[in-house]
Amino acid sequence: MGTVQAATDGLTVRDAVVRYVTGGTGEGAVTAVDRVSLDVPAGQVLALLGPSGCGKSSLLRAVAGIEPLAAGTVAWAGDDVGGVPVHRRGFGLMFQDGQLFAHRDVGRNVAYGLAGGGRPGAQERARRVEELLELVGLPGYARREVATLSGGEKQRVALARSLAPRPRLLLLDEPLSALDRSLRERLATDLRDVLVTTGTTAVFVTHDQDEAFAVADRVAVMDAGRLLQVAAPEELWRAPASRRVAEFLGYQAFVPGDDGSTLAVGPTGLVVAEDGPWSGEVVRSVVRRGRHEVTVQADLGEGGLRRLVATAPDGALPDSGADGVRVALALDPRGCARLGDAAPAVSR
Amino acid sequence: MDRHSDRLSDRLRLGRAAWVLAAAVPLAFLAIFFAWPVAALVGRGFWTDGALDLGGFAEVFSATRTWRIIGITLGQAVAGTALSVLLGVPGAYVLYRCSFPGRTLLRGLVAVPFVLPTVVVGVAFRAVLAPDGPLGALGLDQTFAAIVLALVFFNYSVVVRTVGGMWERLDPRAEQAARALGASPARAFRTVTLPALTPAIASAASIVFLFCATAYGIVLVLGPTGYGTIETEIYVQTTQFLDLRAAAVLSVVQLVVVGAALAVANRARTRRERALALTSDRAVARPLRARRDALPLAATAVVVLGLLAMPLGTLLARSFREPDGGWGLANYRNLSTTGDANALSVTVWQATATSLRTAALAALIAVVVGGLVALVVSRRPRAAGGRRALRVLDSVFMLPLGVSAVTVGFGFLVTLDRPLGLDVDLRTSGLLVPIAQAVVAVPLVVRVLLPVLRAIDPRLREAAATLGAGPGRVLATIDAPVGARPLGLAIGFAFATSLGEFGATSFLARPDSATLPVVIYRLIGRPGAGDYGMALAASVVLAVVTAAVMLVAEQLRGERTGEI
Repeated sequence: MGTVQAATDGLTVRDAVVRYVTGGTGEGAVTAVDRVSLDVPAGQVLALLGPSGCGKSSLLRAVAGIEPLAAGTVAWAGDDVGGVPVHRRGFGLMFQDGQLFAHRDVGRNVAYGLAGGGRPGAQERARRVEELLELVGLPGYARREVATLSGGEKQRVALARSLAPRPRLLLLDEPLSALDRSLRERLATDLRDVLVTTGTTAVFVTHDQDEAFAVADRVAVMDAGRLLQVAAPEELWRAPASRRVAEFLGYQAFVPGDDGSTLAVGPTGLVVAEDGPWSGEVVRSVVRRGRHEVTVQADLGEGGLRRLVATAPDGALPDSGADGVRVALALDPRGCARLGDAAPAVSR
Repeated sequence: MDRHSDRLSDRLRLGRAAWVLAAAVPLAFLAIFFAWPVAALVGRGFWTDGALDLGGFAEVFSATRTWRIIGITLGQAVAGTALSVLLGVPGAYVLYRCSFPGRTLLRGLVAVPFVLPTVVVGVAFRAVLAPDGPLGALGLDQTFAAIVLALVFFNYSVVVRTVGGMWERLDPRAEQAARALGASPARAFRTVTLPALTPAIASAASIVFLFCATAYGIVLVLGPTGYGTIETEIYVQTTQFLDLRAAAVLSVVQLVVVGAALAVANRARTRRERALALTSDRAVARPLRARRDALPLAATAVVVLGLLAMPLGTLLARSFREPDGGWGLANYRNLSTTGDANALSVTVWQATATSLRTAALAALIAVVVGGLVALVVSRRPRAAGGRRALRVLDSVFMLPLGVSAVTVGFGFLVTLDRPLGLDVDLRTSGLLVPIAQAVVAVPLVVRVLLPVLRAIDPRLREAAATLGAGPGRVLATIDAPVGARPLGLAIGFAFATSLGEFGATSFLARPDSATLPVVIYRLIGRPGAGDYGMALAASVVLAVVTAAVMLVAEQLRGERTGEI
């Protein structure tokens, strides 16, 4: 196969396939990753976004070299790394649950990747450990036992440990999923800062779109082993490439446009209006973030009633309570997107 | 293919070769020192004048004596197993689910009988049940009941440890949820806790069944005249009737029984390892309450005081009863003699030194071989064929646990005069005894080390690899530190079982290099009160040495429990 074409200074994945053999004789092969190609230029952070079981973690493990590729190539700066074993790839990997070494303290966990020939001496190593712990907001934690850390602290240590050997690429496998919501939001921002500060090229796997948008420069949406779309967050949101991508991002309904295209209706794309093309029956109404939000039973021409969420301007609903009332519905263009406006699902 | 792929396949080949070598060393050991001797002995029964002759089967199976012996063996194993489980489960609850002062000490005490030499257990029960013993009035001396009680004494800790180890880490919230849904404590136990414990109970029961079905020393010391199990019958047929054909047929019967028990154990173990994933690591012990826990507490107290402490206490007390009826240290002073009328070729202290030397060598061999097996079997190869090979390897190394030690010992004598055509006679080198003891101890070493190595999350190794650690460094920094903790326990187990090994050793040890259990058995078979007193004192010495070894090993053990 030789060197890969379209040499870049970052990660290149071409037609990657990962299969798992489940049965004893090999007939029960499951294709977890199906001919995926993508590029991550040096210094960029790419999020792999998709529902659980879509193959994003398998792709990540294949890039790391833990899972073998059934077909396709993984290359760094144009060099095929398919033959390089995990420990020589220079790709770091951070796990969902950290996988800290319980028999080593925090400092010796962080120093693990620093040990070995030709690397800095003991003093230099201690300095680097302290520097990394400071970077992740845990100065002075070097002597702490791993068992005494909270969940968030463990993930910070895991991040410091992965960054210590200065990997040319850092792979993060749902690093924040095990944490509670407020901590997750705070750590996502910190994570972005650390990656940008250190200029680390990274691939970040998550099933949470908010997290993907907060951390990544570009987002790759995966489903059932295939790559559906790769785009910058705002572009992805503005122009989802397909109905599946839009659904995964939270678009709630799909309306045929005048010109044969399809309009995806976002969470704020439907409004209760004086007059509109559709009507629906209010099932429930709540006040959320200061705005009236109603759940309506309606059919936007998709064939069949569905429950949809619409925003109601002040005065659009009767004060006595809206349940059971029929209202007119219209689209708010700012909350809608035309499907397939963006480039097709290949990377730059 | 480019140069990367070439280098990768080279490296892969190298790595695979290393693992194959690591598996080959223990396999060669097992083949030479277990499979070959056993096969040779069994083969002698079926091969007459160069032709296969299965007539032995018909002959042996048409004898009523055979069926009586099979019946006794199964009856003894079933009774011993049932009683061990029945008493062991409440014990597991008290010792692992409840907290009370002195629990650690009590756990240690309960663990002692399992590693006590069978000969010592036999002697201790004889001391209790003999007509002049504290329970002599029950008339149980040299009866089926005495053997079953001794088997329970011996195997109680297997059930307590295996079930307790799981119970300890069982998430209490499932039972709490059942209680909150209106279940009484009894119903919550029956419907939630017991099903969760079933794999552990089944695993313990099948192991205990194995030990009970193949018991040798206990049956020999405690059994009534004419009483025989398959194991002792093999011994009788080989040494007294010189009927190798009958012995070979019985060995095959025993292999079938052992194979069935191992298959059950294996299935139960797989289920248990799967079930363990559902347990929590939090300490869930609650204080022991006399009222709520009355039933298990009473059962445990009866077992610990009556079944465990009384025989050992009696043994200790009686060892100070001098031949002339007074109390004193005469029996212990006699340990530096060779007994009345020179019953022995060596003094008991010399035998003790031989035992320690032999056991140390046996433990070394067992830990190296067993450690390699555990290391290889704990891998998770990607290919289905590789996984199957590891399962087979795992099962094969359990076989010595059940195959008649007598068969192994006698097989050694038959095959190892000039092993593989080499001009060395292992029989006179003094190496045979430690090797035979190591064969018996390897399964225990594997069962102690394997669960701990298997419990290492494979992602820990992956994490190390992504940080730049090669396969060697991963072994040294991930597997070694975790595996080192139970290593102390494994060494202790191997040392203790080798110290007490009787079946194979009784065949192989020459009179001038007799080990302590062999000497004790010889002494107890003598009529004189002086020799009996010496047997008691020597048993105490052996028990104390074994217990001391296990106490040290317990200190070295990790927090994760092994399977035995």
